[in-house]
Amino acid sequence: MINVTKMNGMKRNIHLVFTFIICVACFNVHAQSKLRVKGVVYDKDARDPLPGVTISTLEPKKTIGVTNINGEYTIDVAPNSVILFSYIGFVTQRVTLKANETTANVYLASDNRALEEIVIRGYQKRTREETTGASTTVLAKDIQDIPASNVEQLLQGKVAGLNIQLNTGAPGFRGSIQIRGLSNLSISGSGSESYLQSNSPLYIIDGVPIDADKAAEYGFQTQGPGVSPTSLIPPEDIESIEVLKDAQATSLYGSRGAFGVIIITTKRGNSAVPRVRYTTNAFINSPPKLRETVGGNAERNAKIQQILNNSLSEGDIIRLSNTNFLADSLNAYWNNSVDWQSVFYQTTFNQTHNIAIDGGNQTFNYKTNLGYYTEKGVIKNTGFDRYSLNMNMEYKPSNKFRFFGALFGALGQQSKGNGVGLLQSGVAANGQASSLLPPPSFYQATSSVVSALSTTNSNNSRNLRANVEGRYEFIPGLALTSSLSYDFTSDTEDTFTPAAANNQFARVYAFTGRNYTLYNRNNLSYFKTLGSHELFFSAFNEIYKKGRQASIIRQEKTANDQLQGPVGFDSYFSRGGGVLDNYGDERIASFAGAFSYNFKKKYVLDLSFRLDGSSLSGAEDPYSKNPAVGLRWNFYKENWFAGLGWLSDGSIRASWGKNINPNGSLQSLYGLYTVNGNYNNNPAIGVVYDQIPNPNLKPTTTEQYNLGFDLGLFENRIELNFDTYFKHVKNMLFDRQLADITGFNRVVSNDASIANYGYELAITAHPFKPGKDFNLSFSVNGAINRDVLTSLPVDQYGQFIKFDGDQNYLQHVVYRVGRNTLSNYLRMNQGTYANDDDVPVDPYSGLKYRTDGVYFQGGDPILKDVNGDYILDGADYEIAGNSQPLFVGGLSTNITYKSWGLNVYSSFTAKRTILNNALSDRLAIMRDPFALTSVVPLQNLDIWTQPGDFTKYPNPYDYGRYNQVRPFRKDQTLWAEDGSYFKINSVTLSYNFDKKLISRLGLYNLRVYFSTNNVATFSSYSGPNPENVNALGRDNSNGYPVPRTYNIGLNLELNSGK
Amino acid sequence: MMMKRIFIYTVIGVGILLSISSCKKFLDVEPIDKLTGNNFYKSPEDVQASIGDLSRKLYNKITETQFMGATGEYRSGEVLSDPLIRGNSVRTPQNIAYIDRLGKNKLIEVINNPNNLWGDYNFGSITDWRRFYEVIQGASILIEKLNEGIPGVTETTKAQYLGEATFIRCFCYFIMVRLYGDVPYYSDAFHIEPLPRESMVSVMDKCIADMESRKDGMVWTFSEPAFKGVRATRTSAIALLMNMNMWNAGFDLANADKYNKATVALGKELVDNENKHNNRLLPIEEWQTVVGGRSDESLFELYQSVNYGVSTNIYAPISQMFLHYPYKSPFYDWEKSSAYYKSSYMEKIFPQDVSDTRKNTWLIEPYANSGLFNFAKLSGVNVNAGGVGAANPDNSFIFFRYADALLMYAEALANDGNDTEAAKMLNRVRTRAHAPTFNGAGTELKDFIFLERSRELIGEGVHYFDLIRTRRILSQTWTSNPLTTDQFIRGGWTWPVSNNVIRNNPFITLTDYWVNGGI
Repeated sequence: MINVTKMNGMKRNIHLVFTFIICVACFNVHAQSKLRVKGVVYDKDARDPLPGVTISTLEPKKTIGVTNINGEYTIDVAPNSVILFSYIGFVTQRVTLKANETTANVYLASDNRALEEIVIRGYQKRTREETTGASTTVLAKDIQDIPASNVEQLLQGKVAGLNIQLNTGAPGFRGSIQIRGLSNLSISGSGSESYLQSNSPLYIIDGVPIDADKAAEYGFQTQGPGVSPTSLIPPEDIESIEVLKDAQATSLYGSRGAFGVIIITTKRGNSAVPRVRYTTNAFINSPPKLRETVGGNAERNAKIQQILNNSLSEGDIIRLSNTNFLADSLNAYWNNSVDWQSVFYQTTFNQTHNIAIDGGNQTFNYKTNLGYYTEKGVIKNTGFDRYSLNMNMEYKPSNKFRFFGALFGALGQQSKGNGVGLLQSGVAANGQASSLLPPPSFYQATSSVVSALSTTNSNNSRNLRANVEGRYEFIPGLALTSSLSYDFTSDTEDTFTPAAANNQFARVYAFTGRNYTLYNRNNLSYFKTLGSHELFFSAFNEIYKKGRQASIIRQEKTANDQLQGPVGFDSYFSRGGGVLDNYGDERIASFAGAFSYNFKKKYVLDLSFRLDGSSLSGAEDPYSKNPAVGLRWNFYKENWFAGLGWLSDGSIRASWGKNINPNGSLQSLYGLYTVNGNYNNNPAIGVVYDQIPNPNLKPTTTEQYNLGFDLGLFENRIELNFDTYFKHVKNMLFDRQLADITGFNRVVSNDASIANYGYELAITAHPFKPGKDFNLSFSVNGAINRDVLTSLPVDQYGQFIKFDGDQNYLQHVVYRVGRNTLSNYLRMNQGTYANDDDVPVDPYSGLKYRTDGVYFQGGDPILKDVNGDYILDGADYEIAGNSQPLFVGGLSTNITYKSWGLNVYSSFTAKRTILNNALSDRLAIMRDPFALTSVVPLQNLDIWTQPGDFTKYPNPYDYGRYNQVRPFRKDQTLWAEDGSYFKINSVTLSYNFDKKLISRLGLYNLRVYFSTNNVATFSSYSGPNPENVNALGRDNSNGYPVPRTYNIGLNLELNSGK
Repeated sequence: MMMKRIFIYTVIGVGILLSISSCKKFLDVEPIDKLTGNNFYKSPEDVQASIGDLSRKLYNKITETQFMGATGEYRSGEVLSDPLIRGNSVRTPQNIAYIDRLGKNKLIEVINNPNNLWGDYNFGSITDWRRFYEVIQGASILIEKLNEGIPGVTETTKAQYLGEATFIRCFCYFIMVRLYGDVPYYSDAFHIEPLPRESMVSVMDKCIADMESRKDGMVWTFSEPAFKGVRATRTSAIALLMNMNMWNAGFDLANADKYNKATVALGKELVDNENKHNNRLLPIEEWQTVVGGRSDESLFELYQSVNYGVSTNIYAPISQMFLHYPYKSPFYDWEKSSAYYKSSYMEKIFPQDVSDTRKNTWLIEPYANSGLFNFAKLSGVNVNAGGVGAANPDNSFIFFRYADALLMYAEALANDGNDTEAAKMLNRVRTRAHAPTFNGAGTELKDFIFLERSRELIGEGVHYFDLIRTRRILSQTWTSNPLTTDQFIRGGWTWPVSNNVIRNNPFITLTDYWVNGGI
């Protein structure tokens, strides 16, 4: 304690000396007829004094002072002069001093002037008005107040063109994220586990590139903890997030920037007195509305009724009397009414704590952030805990030299239960169990209940990242910056399944993995001003060395529920293990150069070029080349706009750029060889005849044009950003199936391409003049993105159908050139036959329309007979719907009145087809009334019950013909619905306590807020949540629901040294 | 502060050093969890392992089914199954009756496998040519890699490896041509384009040119005894070239003379260089060594040995059909062979009144006309896998041997009109069998050479192809399963190709004869 105080004191002294020197300097220059002016500078939003605000005179432009730690300043200026208060991240305030005015308190508004915002391009800081690319910045205040396990979800609806779908509510998991549409058409898995390969943007956290997808490479088959690095960042520590969208902005980030770049900057120390800030949230997660079921005797009666009405033979009636749970209603075992869903779902209480300590001045500053987050899932036995410690320091003894060091450590601990996190099939299956069954208890529980609730699953991701950066300016303008970072993640997963859950034998599974990235960047930059011309050169190189290795072990049977090891090799029960095939060792060496020129900051030209060499590309030419050009015209600086007072700023941007992403593998370039045993007692090694190597494989190329328009009106009370783009993703990998005379099955070709084009608009408005007490701002953004498949391998003749291998789904996807990229390929449902006579008859054979040997009749679905042969078979499919949204965006409102604040954030998605598989599962429960499954109430659905009914849904009760007619087959457009929704993401009400009042409690700042997250979704969709569907728009009944969160939170700052 | 500064300069210095160090080397990563094209083919051992794999692949292909019997023997109609065998777990009178179907050219029935009678024999696999093309691609890739240069491979060994890869590629085409007639041909590595079927004469012409260009770089013989007959040498190439030439001589009648002369030249090269290679006819008493494999008589074979832990599909060797006790036991199950050569045929090739040691050493009860026929020629080495049981002897799958080459040389000489030299070559084979020499001429000589091939190569999967290429298949004098000229021209002698070939290949057609039901 003593040391801390001493240090604080010392700091304060240093700062005072610093201020003093500046003041003395001012005295020397302006010694005649000065007026002494005093005052305090405040942050207008937070109402905090702002230390370090630069105070300067307008004519001549000269710094005359800075505010001290309490935001106070004292300056001597000529009367009636104009003084400017400027501070990074805040709008420069212009104050005209009246004669004799000696006190001026100033409120700086944060960053309403977007053009002066500091953005980062190619690792260099620049002001927005000098940049030519398209990007959007989200500030800390926009993402605070909502506890979230993954910071990505807080960006939803805040950036035009950034499409985030929270398609899982599983704690610690990521949703899907796309910048400017599809860049990929690779689908893996089948049925409910169809998975659209994710192409996340590249994350740059404090200058260190991070691969957010590394945990998701296997899709649903993710082995080991699926904890993404983005789940490990505490949102409280984030200063700003910048989303780079066009090719000019991303080109300097190389091939990995092809899908966009998201730059996260964490907070820096910025207070002469150490600040201690504490944020806590206590929140309740409640499961969404669950499926309705019929319980107890009502279920029994419904089933009996269904059998009696629809039985086809006497055998069914006999079978009914032999079915115990239906016939023996007095048996205590069958005489229950259990709500099975409540066995699995729960409302949870969770909390977060975050302590941030920071301090320092221009010369030296430091920051420490200690975070804890715990969330228990709404499905029992799942959850996510995060522990993080984030530190950084910056030392800048002079303008010539700067040193920055940061250390980030985090532990993410996740429990997936017995599911894979995203999917909880055990829960889904049991949620459909009959309510007549006895509830789970110690000795009476189905193994899947035990499995879901008692499987011990612990996933740990430990991430340690250190980076240092030094900058030295040799001569003014010429600087060398060197940065080195090491990122290490160790992953473990331990699953212990007790005997009761695994056919009476306990099972042990363990996974361990590690991966690391060593990264170095050396940047030489030169900045030169020649009159009105500003020139900027920068050249840098980057080196990555990345590696990963993972291994597993699995023992199928152990002695009992206590013994979890050690388990050794057992020829029968051990399922082996060892190093998994995702072993990786990858290197990237890159060189980049950038040139910028501007004339009076009015005309801006950006040129950049980057070469990326990767060990994953062919040895002949491992370098991919990424050029970009950008132009900007800040037209509001032109003289002819000078007289227009309403125009605060305005500019036009245009850019073109190319990103090349070598996504081949050594295997696709050179082929894979394998040891095939022996021949003639010598080893035989030969090529693997699955995929023929393609030495001509080209890297995927993303070429993008962007045209942007920025406008600020009425002193920036209305700001508008508009961008339109055309993005062509060429040379995408696509398997070409080969003729068998080649000896190989397929070749990875470059022949697929997609074009995305669209418009993005963001408007922020402050309808009222910013006042002291009342402020209102309103933002809206939206983006329309259309994607078109522009080519496929020539032997596909313009169409490729990706057949779903899962016979229960058969929800195929068709790629057809000239259409949207991912279309469903389904049977066309045209309603329900009202009567038997409505079924068409083949005029040649006289036979009725039929399938699988059964004739359709009244109550059956009308499935279009596409080929007109009066038989419904594998040929009767058509293209239907687009699984990708056309229009996404968001709205936000921020209101402050005195100490009160209200923020409302919402987002929307429109024009998207989703397949309501959950409903089809639910209706399909009716197919077998003899099964021990629940009965769902169907009264609220438009179903066929008697001849003459014209309904949407077919007759669910006709169980006898179910397996032939399959009225609820999933491959029909009956389930295709519009997935448009409008969602109120969060509402936050906050209150700032009066400083005087709380100072008695030793507090400097205290803010309390109430927030709710996932407040409400408005949609015409018949299922529970149109967002909780996978990237292909499939709503799975075994997906993880997104909970609603009610939160009460607190920000407080201790009165340390004040 | 000083320390920090030093540290920073160090960081910057290291950074610069790192950036100027060689990038190419930095980017060349060799995976340790798999062999890809950039860390394989790095040494002569890799090349040998690769050649070994191609042979292994071919070996797996021909042991999928009873390849040599089904393709080269039974279709000539001289073999019948014995319905009076005692059934056991591996054979019943019904499941060996496929032989009679093959003898009637009812391939479709055998392939369709009604009631799964012949499931274990897997005859459908013969219609699938994919494995051959896999070997062809593998060999072509190897040739390309050799031409790009492989560290440690000298010019001499490179020529040998090129020869071996070319040999195995041409060998596959030769086998395919004999099975399917016209087949698609390519010889470029990483070939991915679909192709139509090409006239088999043209395919063989290309293979002849291909093999000729590489033959002279190959070694005459390997010093390592384990490679004898197993890895292709110049003599293997000669044998293959003779076979390919003689095949075309039978089909490209206009140029038959050219092919005969080429075969004569090759035969002469083989015989004239007997001092350079150690291939020769072994004494008939040492026959077991020949069928066992890796002998001086072997020109090319696919070797297998239980000693190397290889277990071969018991239905694959022809000996499964022709051997019984004591080569298979127990006696109760194996009192009789499953199949036998008809006595009329045996009388024809081995007349009772002509002395011939082969009758005694190779055959037991040759004229039995029943399962009592026991084919000691196939008894080979490691009978009963060295123990007792139904296992087959440990024979090698021999494709070319010295006697075959000599007789083919003789045949070409006779076609070319050089009867004296032809008789000399013929009599070398006869002398080895202690059979009386033959001194006829003209047609008589040609017919006798054909019969000598039938005798010498009985059970080696050659007879049916000899009938085809000499067109003797059209005459009931020479076969018990003759084809009409019309059937012959429509491809009645081929095997059907699997429907798989149509997939992703718009140019290809199935064989007319079999598409129309095989009649």
